[in-house]
Amino acid sequence: MKIICLVKYVPNVEDIKYDYEKNILIRDNVKLILNPDDACAVAFALELKEHQPEHEIEVITMGPKSVKPFVEDLLRRNVDKASIISDKLFAGSDTYATSKILSHYLKDKEFDCILTGTNSLDGDTSHIPSQIGELLGLNQMSNITKIDLARFKKTKAVIEVENGENVLTYAMQLPAILSLRKESDYKLPYIEYENMSLDVSDRLDIISNQELGLAKEEIGLKGSLTKVVNTYNKNFEEKDKVVVENNEEGIDFVYSFLKKKGFV
Amino acid sequence: MKNTLIYIDQENIINSIELLEVARQIHADQEYQSFGLLINQQIENKYLGEFDSIINIKDQNIKSYDQLALTDVIEELQNEYQFESIIIPATHIGRMLAPRLAMRLHVGLVADVTEIKKDEKSLELIRPAFSGRIMAGIETNAKKPIMLTVRQNVFTHHIDQNKELKMINYQPNNYNKAEIDLLEKKQCELSYDIRESEILVSGGGGALKDFEQIKNLADKLNAEVSASRKIIDDGKASRNIQVGQSGKTVSPELYIALGISGAIEHVAGLKNIENIISVNINKNAPICSLSDIVVVGDAIEFVKKLANKLEKN
Amino acid sequence: MSVAQQAKKKEIVDDLIDLLSAEQVNTNEEDLYEASVDRYKKFAYARNAVDVPKPAAIVYPNSSEEVSSILEFCNQQKINVIPRSGDTSTEGGLENWKENTIIIDAENLDKIVDINTYNMEAKVQAGVPLEELENALREKGFTTGHSPQSKPVAKMGGLVATRSIGQLSTLYGGIEDMVIGLECVFPDGHIANIKNVPRRAGGPDIRHIAIGNEGTLCYITEVTVKIFKYYPDNNKFYGYLTEDIETGIKVLREVMVNGYRPSVARAYSEEDANQHFYHFSKDKCVLILMAEGPENIVEATGEAIEEAVEKFSDGIIEEVDSELIENWFNNLNWSQQDIDDEYEGMIENDSHTGFTTEISANWETIPVIYNNVMRRIKEEFPRAHELTLLGGHSSHSYINGTNLYFVYNYEINCAPEDELRVYHHPIHKIIVEETLKQGGSMCHHHGIGKYRSEWTKEEHGSAYYMLEKLKEVFDPNDIMNYGSIFPKEDGIKKYINKEK
Repeated sequence: MKIICLVKYVPNVEDIKYDYEKNILIRDNVKLILNPDDACAVAFALELKEHQPEHEIEVITMGPKSVKPFVEDLLRRNVDKASIISDKLFAGSDTYATSKILSHYLKDKEFDCILTGTNSLDGDTSHIPSQIGELLGLNQMSNITKIDLARFKKTKAVIEVENGENVLTYAMQLPAILSLRKESDYKLPYIEYENMSLDVSDRLDIISNQELGLAKEEIGLKGSLTKVVNTYNKNFEEKDKVVVENNEEGIDFVYSFLKKKGFV
Repeated sequence: MKNTLIYIDQENIINSIELLEVARQIHADQEYQSFGLLINQQIENKYLGEFDSIINIKDQNIKSYDQLALTDVIEELQNEYQFESIIIPATHIGRMLAPRLAMRLHVGLVADVTEIKKDEKSLELIRPAFSGRIMAGIETNAKKPIMLTVRQNVFTHHIDQNKELKMINYQPNNYNKAEIDLLEKKQCELSYDIRESEILVSGGGGALKDFEQIKNLADKLNAEVSASRKIIDDGKASRNIQVGQSGKTVSPELYIALGISGAIEHVAGLKNIENIISVNINKNAPICSLSDIVVVGDAIEFVKKLANKLEKN
Repeated sequence: MSVAQQAKKKEIVDDLIDLLSAEQVNTNEEDLYEASVDRYKKFAYARNAVDVPKPAAIVYPNSSEEVSSILEFCNQQKINVIPRSGDTSTEGGLENWKENTIIIDAENLDKIVDINTYNMEAKVQAGVPLEELENALREKGFTTGHSPQSKPVAKMGGLVATRSIGQLSTLYGGIEDMVIGLECVFPDGHIANIKNVPRRAGGPDIRHIAIGNEGTLCYITEVTVKIFKYYPDNNKFYGYLTEDIETGIKVLREVMVNGYRPSVARAYSEEDANQHFYHFSKDKCVLILMAEGPENIVEATGEAIEEAVEKFSDGIIEEVDSELIENWFNNLNWSQQDIDDEYEGMIENDSHTGFTTEISANWETIPVIYNNVMRRIKEEFPRAHELTLLGGHSSHSYINGTNLYFVYNYEINCAPEDELRVYHHPIHKIIVEETLKQGGSMCHHHGIGKYRSEWTKEEHGSAYYMLEKLKEVFDPNDIMNYGSIFPKEDGIKKYINKEK
């Protein structure tokens, strides 16, 4: 079985800065981490391969070239192949343009299943999986907390989904796009000591728009249908706290705060 | 006359209907008609009273979880009614359906909208980004329909007058069914996981003397109880509700820190929390600098007072 | 473990029980597992991935005489001995590299023998917790002046044996400046008692053979330390945000060379400041000073601090509310609880609270070392992309120089047993190399333990001769804490480099 893992490296929200003049992210010196939901997708794929080594896993990610050392570590964990889709031209792409770029690369590929995460820590729209599903004509499911390893077959997967209220078990035809959630708790295996510095360059492709050949109108800001026009700061730094006493006044203040925010 | 469509999701019917408020805020400046899309559901008219029309589809072949079929159906409706906007609740299904549909219709989509800014020139849809670290105001290009999913339970719609509800029984012509079957459906188990809680009332050393009181306040806020290391060490609560480096990392929308100083050990467990209220006798306790409101005083006293206040209102 | 080895261990235990008593010989498997390592292998320990042998037993002597007979026995039997009191070491000083080893724990040597506030001396047995002594003194209005971060856990014998230093050292000095006299026992069973006098010129100062020997020469059973008047009400706190750590260090130097002695004198890099002072550091470097002692001295010291800050005001961003510094000061020690919590955390997550390497050098070279280390780690460390923390601070200043306390942490993506050689050791190595290259000392206050023994000869150069001779004379059978301070090829191969 050929499995594609679609992952994203996201800035660690801890040390993220935002340029409020230009309305762009400042990603320099921001530590990148593998998006937790996506990590579960790769972790499940590797667990599957652990049981049945014949499975082939390719990781695909779109982002800055600085993700290379992280992707190399996935290859050192027994992922077969990885592609980093990276090009300055892609900068500023919204989810619509991003889905088009990724689908353009995916459309000629052979695979039985695409595993990915549900939400990303940064964008948090969870648009990409279902939009790629639309573009590739595949079904898709989000919020997966369990994939039945034993019943994971070339043409069918049995999955558990949590929608907040219920745990729903579905049988889904493959190929399809399965989006996991970090609560699924699939853990990436350790990198073996011998492989810590393993040269994996022969299994890693960096793909620019040269190879993809998308028209400039389709990608980046030009190809995007939405754009961020304003940002409103949220507790990046110390909040300008209101200090109140523990008296009726203070309680009233707290109460109206809760009311205003819709907590009561 | 402009048309707007609201997808009524059985996952959260009441909130779907509340989205009429979103329609109002987007279209208030011109005349518009609101359509509600109801698929294989029975809802009393009194709830639907505020819609101008309900598109009522009864077709057991369309499963509520089949986003392929749903997309085809709504595309068909779009061609028929030329909606100016399509508003979908950000439910489990809604968040899968909306992006697919937006791609199908070649329009932009804004997810999890929590606020709307509208003036004669522009429409800005505001949503949290970076795990709520910032709010982003987003504009979509001129193409219609405007599409958005709306964060659940944020907007509330005030019924002013009850309209004459037009019930349109609709049978979609062609749609494809996805190969997917629901095998089982069971309730999530009740024992809560503080990592998933929306509101946490959290106790620390300053609440040691009467930790039980905290539960009382939590109940009144429909919140869950968590605790700092001190409480756990004192055997007042089990480790699985401990927040911190040695405990769990939590990201509720509201965190009420009662008598918690906020040593790095604890703060390490707080991630991207939008609202923090801390109650502490020391207004310089580290946690206070992370708080929106600092109540200077005894945690338990505060708990009793606030619980009272909530009782009264 | 082979049958023969098992038999040998059994035999050792039986002999010890004859020598002492059953309740003084602990063979509880869990305790032995814990006793096989110290905080250096904390992560492997938490994940049950420890690769060193368990000791045969932990013994608790009740007197110097019992220590003497145990050592004599081990010396005859060639059984490795690891002296222990407090168990807070971080460099492998308490890690076991031998199959046949016993731990001598000062648990029962727990009496405060005498506090003499007229002579300003306190005599205690090795197993007395520092905090217990400190509290006893505070009641009388006095203090040891010794306040390491490990204060709530550390015990006097261990502190002296490792040349401990406290957070107030810039005023009170390190433990070596506090010890007046001590009693220690040598492998041949000889009990040596160094008498307590204000000063003497009776040949070399032999206290320093015992102080800092890290259990490689003798077992310290009793120490007498100076005590000081305690003036908490006079304490003054100063905090500043600075452009860079150099500015902070310049201010520290200015205060010192002008002849003042603040008790706390610390300059943090922004990364390090962030983890302690995230609530006010604003991603800047932090400078902290504290004036302590008699009122007029505090006054004078305070003024000197303000003048020094003024002199380098270009690098000073803003002053910090001194209340915030005081709050920090009142909560800066880690307790047993913190250790336990880190342990719990390490079981659940592939991470710990980080590692440190502390070095010292003169004023000129300190900034050079800092910058070289930062550069080399970022350039050469193959797992640099997994670093979650890299920075440091200066926390102990002297007239001619200061220390640097490098702090670092990382995501762990290898098996627990490989963590040290993949992450900690390569970083540690760069810091040590850069320091020695600049003529600094690779071990300011954590001791050499086992994990810096690779560089002991480089650290001491031609003077290593003296150390070596001491070892030959006092521990001819090499039974004292095998692998600590004095490099042992086999152990380094097996337990540090893990060569098969």
